[in-house]
Amino acid sequence: MRLLHKTLLSGLLVVAIFAIYAAAQSKSKTGLSLSEKVQNLVDMNAKKPLLRFNGPKFREYVKSAPRNYSMIVMLTALAPSRQCQICRHAHDEFAIVANSYRFSSTYSNKLFFAMVDFDDGSEVFQLLRLNTAPVFMHFPAKGKPKGADTMDIHRVGFAADSIAKFVAERTDITIRIFRPPNYSGTVAMITLVALVGSFLYIRRNNLEFLYNKNLWGAIAVFFCFAMISGQMWNHIRGPPLVHKSQNGGVAYIHGSSQGQLVVETYIVMFLNAMIVLGMILLIESGTPKAHNKNRIMAMTGLVLLTVFFSFLLSVFRSKAQGYPYSFLFK
Amino acid sequence: MNRTPKMLNSKVAGYSSLITFAILLIAWLAGFSSRLFAVIRFESIIHEFDPWFNYRATAYMVQNGWYNFLNWFDERAWYPLGRIVGGTVYPGLMITSGGIHWLLHVLNIPVHIRDICVFLAPIFSGLTSISTYLLTKELWSAGAGLFAASFIAIVPGYISRSVAGSYDNEGIAIFALQFTYFLWVRSVKTGSVFWSAAAALSYFYMVSAWGGYVFIINLIPLHVFVLLIMGRYSPRLLTSYSTFYILGLLFSMQIPFVGFQPIRTSEHMAALGVFVLLMAVATLRHLQSVLSRNEFRKLFIVGGLLVGVGVFVAVVVLTMLGVVAPWSGRFYSLWDTGYAKIHIPIIASVSEHQPTTWFSFFFDLHILVCAFPVGVWYCIKQINDERVFVVLYAISAVYFAGVMVRLMLTLTPVVCMLAGVAFSGLLDVFLQEDSSKRMGTAISTATEVDEAEDSIEKKTLYDKAGKLKHRTKHDAQQDTGVSSNLKSIVILAVLMLLMMFAVHCTWVTSNAYSSPSIVLAFHNSQDGSRNILDDFREAYYWLSQNTADDARVMSWWDYGYQIAGMANRTTLVDNNTWNNSHIALVGKAMSSTEEKSYEIMTSLDVDYVLVIFGGVIGYSGDDINKFLWMVRIAEGEHPKDIKESDYFTDCGEFRRFGELKLDYRGPSGYDRTRNAVIGNKDFDLTYLEEAYTTEHWLVRIYRVKKPHEFNRPSLKTKERTIPPANFISRKVVYSAALNELD
Repeated sequence: MRLLHKTLLSGLLVVAIFAIYAAAQSKSKTGLSLSEKVQNLVDMNAKKPLLRFNGPKFREYVKSAPRNYSMIVMLTALAPSRQCQICRHAHDEFAIVANSYRFSSTYSNKLFFAMVDFDDGSEVFQLLRLNTAPVFMHFPAKGKPKGADTMDIHRVGFAADSIAKFVAERTDITIRIFRPPNYSGTVAMITLVALVGSFLYIRRNNLEFLYNKNLWGAIAVFFCFAMISGQMWNHIRGPPLVHKSQNGGVAYIHGSSQGQLVVETYIVMFLNAMIVLGMILLIESGTPKAHNKNRIMAMTGLVLLTVFFSFLLSVFRSKAQGYPYSFLFK
Repeated sequence: MNRTPKMLNSKVAGYSSLITFAILLIAWLAGFSSRLFAVIRFESIIHEFDPWFNYRATAYMVQNGWYNFLNWFDERAWYPLGRIVGGTVYPGLMITSGGIHWLLHVLNIPVHIRDICVFLAPIFSGLTSISTYLLTKELWSAGAGLFAASFIAIVPGYISRSVAGSYDNEGIAIFALQFTYFLWVRSVKTGSVFWSAAAALSYFYMVSAWGGYVFIINLIPLHVFVLLIMGRYSPRLLTSYSTFYILGLLFSMQIPFVGFQPIRTSEHMAALGVFVLLMAVATLRHLQSVLSRNEFRKLFIVGGLLVGVGVFVAVVVLTMLGVVAPWSGRFYSLWDTGYAKIHIPIIASVSEHQPTTWFSFFFDLHILVCAFPVGVWYCIKQINDERVFVVLYAISAVYFAGVMVRLMLTLTPVVCMLAGVAFSGLLDVFLQEDSSKRMGTAISTATEVDEAEDSIEKKTLYDKAGKLKHRTKHDAQQDTGVSSNLKSIVILAVLMLLMMFAVHCTWVTSNAYSSPSIVLAFHNSQDGSRNILDDFREAYYWLSQNTADDARVMSWWDYGYQIAGMANRTTLVDNNTWNNSHIALVGKAMSSTEEKSYEIMTSLDVDYVLVIFGGVIGYSGDDINKFLWMVRIAEGEHPKDIKESDYFTDCGEFRRFGELKLDYRGPSGYDRTRNAVIGNKDFDLTYLEEAYTTEHWLVRIYRVKKPHEFNRPSLKTKERTIPPANFISRKVVYSAALNELD
């Protein structure tokens, strides 16, 4: 009785082992096992931080079921014939994220970065029903990507920081962005200093121009113009050059008092400069000169001052609702 | 005009001082009265947010004395942390009004401290215009000074911070700023220790009054540095700067809030560096006079190199050791303009810290902003030691004003001064009578012109014609080739411009800067009548009458000072945003679902929640519009729980009325501020109950239920689990502990 029991048990065991072996055999025919996939991905990643997939590979590593890793995939069209300017910028930013992740301490086999070019795998685009590029998608370790797994590049843009934020939101892996240091600013600064230095050196026998008050005055006054016409606002906020108004025309002046357009600031700068010129002409007409000249100066100054100030006031009026005062013209 | 020159001179001197006095007095009165719009329209009340704290602190100081104030630990703010008030305020404002209060009471004039606080800023505006006059007189001429004084009395850029009731540091700080600069310029001119010691004293007052003193301690060294570069070194400069720096440094360290910052933070390092440089230059000058040329050259090269390397190494080592602190965020955002937006949401969320459009420049300064580059131009053309200072002042201030709207305030005085230079130069040319008489009467014409100007500015329209006729009669003779007709046309035009400036200032002051913002006024569109919304005070009064004395009120930080000042209740966060994580916790409570925020609220012992809802009357500054910042600030500290993108709808707009926010029910579900029907109406609150809603639904107060009060949300039968045996007892212990805490 006991023996029978033992034999039966061992027989069962053998059958079970066979069955498992067969199952494993059949599985390895259809696709790679999970550990193999991860191993392959890690190997590939060792060569390149950003994996480049075509259609079959995409299906193998991203679409097929047994996965314990997340994938961030950029779907793009980099070929010059596709004429996608934005794709190249997006690719650069994405590569920065992938590089920062690859060489960071948080690197693990839980998250991989990949890209699919339209010309390599157009079937992927059909599969995901995409007709735009670039698209950033997150494929979670379990389940299918939901709506929020596609990054909204219209809202957050595709700067490396916002991609990293997106990754952190979806996968809880925070990536610190390391940009390759940008030397262009330093180089420009050094060039400028060198230029000024060499200029001074060449002119070293004649440095009179440094004592030229007109030059310094002009620089200072120009700086004031730039500031009071809101160039700093433009620098920080980056407004558009002009607006398209509803009836098809072009608006040079922003309608509300909260904003401004780039062209508008130049207009205001010009108006301010003319007013200042007018006042300076008026003051200068007091110094003794030839009879006629003073007269002309005074008249020009007067016209410049009043006309351009009225202009400025009417521009101001058009922006401030309910402002009651105007001068010369509305 | 046909008497002897001697008589004329003494007479002119007498008249000119009389006229100067009269104009300054009129400017003071005009400045004072144009700041009273708010008092006349509403009542004598403290405005906005920060002034409420200042008022509360002042009242505390008057009641409990100076030393108690210095040691005041305010347990009613930042619950449960509390705040050491005495060590974290600039006490100059409180001392000033407390001093006035004391003086008046010594003279047996019983004035309530609130009235002193309300009228302090308008009174100081008069002192500001006098110190502006003095400064401009040092820089250019008395005529320009009078222009500048009258400009600054009424210019909106300054009025915006000094209307009656706006009891804030800036109101007295601009006076201190201008007066310090006046004394500094005087001391550079004379090189006397007396004037520079006076400048240091005035600087001490400025340090005690406003954090903007950093502007002074950087601008004056910059002035000295530029003078050195320009080769304008003089022993006068050495005396005045070394006296000022040493005394100013010692004085400024006496303020508890400033403490050891002047020798540690980078903001003050420029002053030290320039001091060392000035000493080095002075030493070299002295050695040059003692040594032979060859020796001097050797010493110069070796010594210069050694000193340079030594200073560099010292700075690097100190920074590495952490003795020298890095730049504080607000100042960093002045240089790297994109910094604040990315790193410090709490700074970026304040509307005062936004960059400035050309519109605001023109709105705040009108014709002056067009005229001041003329002043810059002439100051550079006729440069001397003091004018270097004013040019640097103008350029740095205009840069800072471009970066931050709030710093328009420091630009305004220098714009007034330089525009005064421009206008007095202009009228000097066109109102002069004869080139031969010009020398003797220059001052008198200038001042007379100013008087005409001034009265026209003040009285705007009434007697313009008469004055003008008078002027043109004087200019009957012609001299420089410009005919008298043309001259009178120019004068007329300039006077028109100045008149428009005065009218503009009054309009802006009346329409834009005279709202107390706790009492709101709106015009009824149907019958044009003026209604007053007093919801804020209604709510605060309700709080003070109907809640326990130690009740804790949670609100967004904007309203912290007002709750403390008016309702006298404990707040969690307030406008002194010193603890970002605490604010983030409140933001998280505001933006989480009800259950989660209940956890936070119980852990913070909150009794009441106060929210501002503008949907009924169309008030745009309510909590829903600030909701974006609550989420952002909360996300900065709790990135796991709060994600900004969760609050966006699919099309990328902020989902404001989601089920996530606690309490927005419009009466008919229609929101007038945003012109939209809210997302979900008629929802029930489990953990909170409505305690009070003001007349126009502007302020809504909710009471946080105690754990035993609310009906816990019902669970479906299959989700119910039997609690472990010790659950009940723990609960009892917990609520007992809570009761004990109460």
